[in-house]
Amino acid sequence: MKRQIPLIIVITLGFLFVAHTFIPSKASVDFYDWWVSWAKAISPFAVVLGILSLFMVHGTKIQRKAPNWQYSVVTLLALVVTAVSGFAWGTNEGTPFLWLFQNVQMPMSATMFSLLAFYIASAAYKAFRAKSPQATVLLIAAFIVMMGQVPIGAAISKWIPETAQWILNVPNLAAKRGIATGVGLGMTATSLKILLGIERTYLGSD
Amino acid sequence: MNIFQRMQNIDRRWIYLVVALCIIIPLLIPFNSKTYVTDPSSNLYQKIDSFAGKEDKAVLLSFSHDASTMAELFPMEVSILRHCFERNIKVFTICFSPPSAPLMAYALNVAKEDYPNSQSGVDYCNFGYKPYGLFLPIVLGMGDDVAEAVQTDADGRKIKNLEIMNGIRNYDDLNLIVDFAASAAVFSWITYARVRFGANVAAGVTAVMAADNYPYLQSGQLVGMLSGLKGAAEYEKLVDVFAAYEDADNPNGRKYSPEVIKDTWVPIMSKKISYDSSQGNIDTDVPLPYKFKMARIGMNAQSIAHIMIIVFIILGNIGYFTTRKKPDETI
Repeated sequence: MKRQIPLIIVITLGFLFVAHTFIPSKASVDFYDWWVSWAKAISPFAVVLGILSLFMVHGTKIQRKAPNWQYSVVTLLALVVTAVSGFAWGTNEGTPFLWLFQNVQMPMSATMFSLLAFYIASAAYKAFRAKSPQATVLLIAAFIVMMGQVPIGAAISKWIPETAQWILNVPNLAAKRGIATGVGLGMTATSLKILLGIERTYLGSD
Repeated sequence: MNIFQRMQNIDRRWIYLVVALCIIIPLLIPFNSKTYVTDPSSNLYQKIDSFAGKEDKAVLLSFSHDASTMAELFPMEVSILRHCFERNIKVFTICFSPPSAPLMAYALNVAKEDYPNSQSGVDYCNFGYKPYGLFLPIVLGMGDDVAEAVQTDADGRKIKNLEIMNGIRNYDDLNLIVDFAASAAVFSWITYARVRFGANVAAGVTAVMAADNYPYLQSGQLVGMLSGLKGAAEYEKLVDVFAAYEDADNPNGRKYSPEVIKDTWVPIMSKKISYDSSQGNIDTDVPLPYKFKMARIGMNAQSIAHIMIIVFIILGNIGYFTTRKKPDETI
């Protein structure tokens, strides 16, 4: 029953949504409205579940003094302090919540993302080699696109941004469209397998 | 060990130091550089501008990113909001992830500082954060009735009672959605709002995500796109040259013209907007604060960083080919 009930729910609702999309009728619209109200009710439970799960995982780590348990203390403290400041004083301009966001989270997130520039430069120097004709084509395309994206490229020659745009509009687009078509077909096949009960890995291993 | 072998084994901390200097110096000492506007940016500008002064047309800005990608996305958000305030275009904002909510409020606060007459609930409205579980019900629901789908704004006011909702019912009126993302979030808007209801969708994305969107631009499913800091810089220039332009004949901005944008550039070092073109130089009294030129200043650092990476690649390849083991000729 543990596997059969979720399977019945997925298959029944899956086919009902397919019917809703392809068979326009009053019953189909009523079904959709019913689902919207259910979806609104389910979301708050997911938030509570997420917070409980976070407390359980990190609480256990702290209790057992697992390696790097101190980081778990910081995580839980950050969660509590941010949530309390939001509930107590609101989230508008001038509140502690927005101060925390602008002065702690924003710089920390930006710092993490900006590290990419250092790694890209280092990787470009150490690993981007013209070892084969394909790698050479990639290298030349990268040069043109990089120069085409910045004002200095256009200042050198108007052909640089135009060629960069052509690379994005033609070869890049062709490759992306091919990939997208493949992904779309794959998604359709997987969805059909789920609807027909052939694909069951989402139910877990129990 | 010769110089090429040394180059191959250079400590990567030297590379990090060069990267840091190449990015920090142009940000601290900005210089004038020309911004060339591409079609995806100008198409988005024209679409938004076509809503100017219309009671029954509005733009919805969807914030789908966190603070890590602010450097690229925040300037484009501020530019589009500035365009809307400047040209009296109704604008709504919404987000479906908690970290985006303060960013949305921050962008609105930064842009509206210079437009004290723009009022919340009248000229703009922040729908606020909605849980991601409600994404589909809200996106699909707005196809029928925006006020019914969203219910309340960020301040808890009933949407249907707000003055801004006069003439705005569904995607026929809320006719353009611009999604700012560092992910493939815009595809959901294309799938549900564009395909099902015919809403116009545009994207403001980080540069690494831009390549993924070109098929949708070509098919017309995206009406425009701002690509990374370059896209933001282009939009800043478009707003300066057209929406924020003021003279005796055009007191509320001027109409878009491909010839004018190609011929004109705005020196970013001056504190007031000035226009340089083949017709000569025009100095205005319209202020150009840092927040309205931050993408163009950032593009200076990006220019230097791109050149530095190209130099690194060339040096790396020279080192590789000169130190590569030659075939043993004795065999």
